Amino acid sequence: MNRFNFPAIKPNPALEELRSEVQAFLLAEKEAGYFHSEPECWMSSSDPEFSRKMGARGWIGMNWKGYGGHNRSALERYIVTEETLRFGAPVGAHWIADRQHAPMLIEHGTEAQKADILPRIAAGECYFAIGLSEPGAGSDLAAVKTKAEKLPDGTWKLNGQKIWSSGAQHAHYMVSLVRTSPPDGRNRHVGLSQVLIDMSAHGVSVRPISDLAGDAHFNEVTYDDVILPADALLGEEGGGWQQVTSELAMERSGPERFLSSYVTLEQAVIELQGKMSSSARARLGLIYANLRTLRGMSFGIAKLLEQGVSPETEAALVKDLGNSLENKVTQNVRAMIGELPINELSDTMKRIINIGVLRSPPNSLRGGTTEVMRGIIARQLGLR
Amino acid sequence: MIDTQSLIAQSAAKIHERNGGRAVLHGDVAPDSYWDAIIENGLHLAWASEDAGGFGAPLSEVAGAIWNMTPAALPFVETLIANKLLELGGLELAKGRASYAIGAADGVHIIPFADAAEDVVLFGDGHIAHYKSHDLECRAIDSLSPDADGAADFSKANPIKCAHTNISLSNVEAIILTLRSVQMAAAMDGALSLSIDHVSAREQFGRPLSKFQAIQHQLAVAASQVAAANMAASQACAALSNDMKSAWHEAAIAKVQIGESIEGATSAFQQVHGAIGYTMEYDLHHYSRRLWAWRDALGNEHIWAQKLGDDLAQKDSNKLWRGVTTGVW
Ligand SMILES: Cc1cc2nc3c(=O)[nH]c(=O)nc-3n(C[C@H](O)[C@H](O)[C@H](O)COP(=O)(O)OP(=O)(O)OC[C@H]3O[C@@H](n4cnc5c(N)ncnc54)[C@H](O)[C@@H]3O)c2cc1C
Repeated sequence: MNRFNFPAIKPNPALEELRSEVQAFLLAEKEAGYFHSEPECWMSSSDPEFSRKMGARGWIGMNWKGYGGHNRSALERYIVTEETLRFGAPVGAHWIADRQHAPMLIEHGTEAQKADILPRIAAGECYFAIGLSEPGAGSDLAAVKTKAEKLPDGTWKLNGQKIWSSGAQHAHYMVSLVRTSPPDGRNRHVGLSQVLIDMSAHGVSVRPISDLAGDAHFNEVTYDDVILPADALLGEEGGGWQQVTSELAMERSGPERFLSSYVTLEQAVIELQGKMSSSARARLGLIYANLRTLRGMSFGIAKLLEQGVSPETEAALVKDLGNSLENKVTQNVRAMIGELPINELSDTMKRIINIGVLRSPPNSLRGGTTEVMRGIIARQLGLR
Repeated sequence: MIDTQSLIAQSAAKIHERNGGRAVLHGDVAPDSYWDAIIENGLHLAWASEDAGGFGAPLSEVAGAIWNMTPAALPFVETLIANKLLELGGLELAKGRASYAIGAADGVHIIPFADAAEDVVLFGDGHIAHYKSHDLECRAIDSLSPDADGAADFSKANPIKCAHTNISLSNVEAIILTLRSVQMAAAMDGALSLSIDHVSAREQFGRPLSKFQAIQHQLAVAASQVAAANMAASQACAALSNDMKSAWHEAAIAKVQIGESIEGATSAFQQVHGAIGYTMEYDLHHYSRRLWAWRDALGNEHIWAQKLGDDLAQKDSNKLWRGVTTGVW
């Protein structure tokens, strides 16, 4: 029974009060026309203006103390993030920095970096990109070749190439996994380090890549003799592999791993009010049961974060189940709305479901593929 | 929540081990000493309130006891449900093995694990009625599980006691579905353990099956379904402990989720076992057959998805989201 750890969480009125506040804000923004709901908003809908408004309300940087943080619980942060996903709000600009780079800086950053960067993240003004994948290193992340060479004066010279870096074209910083010394024989996990890269540094170039939906949200990033200051090394020299494992656990831990397509379901329920066939209702019942169950598991992960437990396996499990569910939601919504003549569907519904279909493939790729997640779960089962 | 570490759950685990542990499965009926120990420890009365003559243990702990005894061939869950119904009718609790049925007093109704029950509690028409099994002409009906269902014509027997009740059918459904959800999650977990042990021990092509990625991934997917079933059962227990009136919703969700998860999980378990899993000589069938029976009991997951969906279609989209996030219906 204790193969996995998904703590149960008691209902909490204070959390519901916070939820109402967030809902009121999001509804007002949406009704004022400041945004249109979109599937996968956390990745593909960026609006710095909106991020600043979230920052001003104290809904970014909720989980750290000092440095502009609001010292609130991981459960409170969860409520805010799930509400923004439900509304399909344009949270993409600040999402990654708030989710994984702020915690990384708190743990490994210098005093000066924390004082300089964290308050700007919390204000919704400073954005980050993730520099893990390379052309030759996807699932096999330890194959990264980008190299940081220590110069006699303690600074670093960076050369190499990252790819699929989401939001790098708007990011102020990027944290990359790089080789700082050669592997030890067959052990490639040694000699890897994480470095903080100022995207305005000389020698950094960014080339956007159009995704299948036609948005250029991810990029190829090239480092050509980029000189990084000595304190660009985050954490330990050679400790990059362990650090990345915790980073990835954070990256996979949130509700965006099962709610990316929720807005399509909500729109369908609105449009089909009073018109749903019996089979459409059965689909709704099934999807709803799946959503409620996964929500319990995903919220349990927030509790683990609060307890200071790294949710590596649980996050992988919820991500795998959640990615399947996101696509199952999209497919079931197609079936449900397909019962209506196309001209009875609103333009909004058509737009949202099309985006939902186009943005289905990456759910089970980014943040680690299905196969990688299943490998992590299998390890927990003692099979590898 | 399902607390497998509580005192009650631990005492259930001890009884299970003392009476053979996994080997208890080898008979289609558990040894008498097993049931005697349950009675001696009062586990059959654990969930009923103290006023009714039970121990008033929290459902989370009772669920832990169910977990630790699953899938022994004993009408433990049936007895807990029967006694809860008797309590809700203000009637005296059953002293031994019991089961239940739903429907009018003049109809033919299904009795789960009928063979094993000495007492049967019928809920219907706003009444709770207590029958002795030997007064009911009970006919065995075709069943997927070794714990076979029976059917009895209640019009041909008189209850020993009967009382009016104002609990609703949905309250009773919530009770039954919630306890069954725990039992199903537990059996899925047990079958997963069996499967992990099997693929670690069995060698083909010169290495354990567990070293093949295809096998690892099948069990990883199945384990995720087990974890989902566990969460669904926990949420149902939490709701039923909190407020019986609103518990139907989470119980129905658990029924749908677990029913769906069982298909994915049991097909993987059967597949990784190969032919040995398809025999009566090996333990897997004790889990698989019960899981396939329990998911059908009181209506399968498709029927319950329809019920949930029919209800949701009446509500606006804010309620849908509120249900997903808070479980409030
Ligand atoms: C929308 C999107 C956004 C992304 N954003 C970022 C980002 O911001 N930063 C970043 O660093 N990366 C990002 N990525 C990259 C992502 O992390 C990689 O796509 C992912 O890790 C897989 O690598 P790959 O694409 O090279 O596929 P490959 O590793 O080549 O895999 C191809 C297929 O082979 C399978 N496979 C590979 N190895 C094995 C194995 N050992 N056993 C079984 N199957 C295997 C994979 O599971 C997959 O199905 C993003 C990707 C997408 C789609």
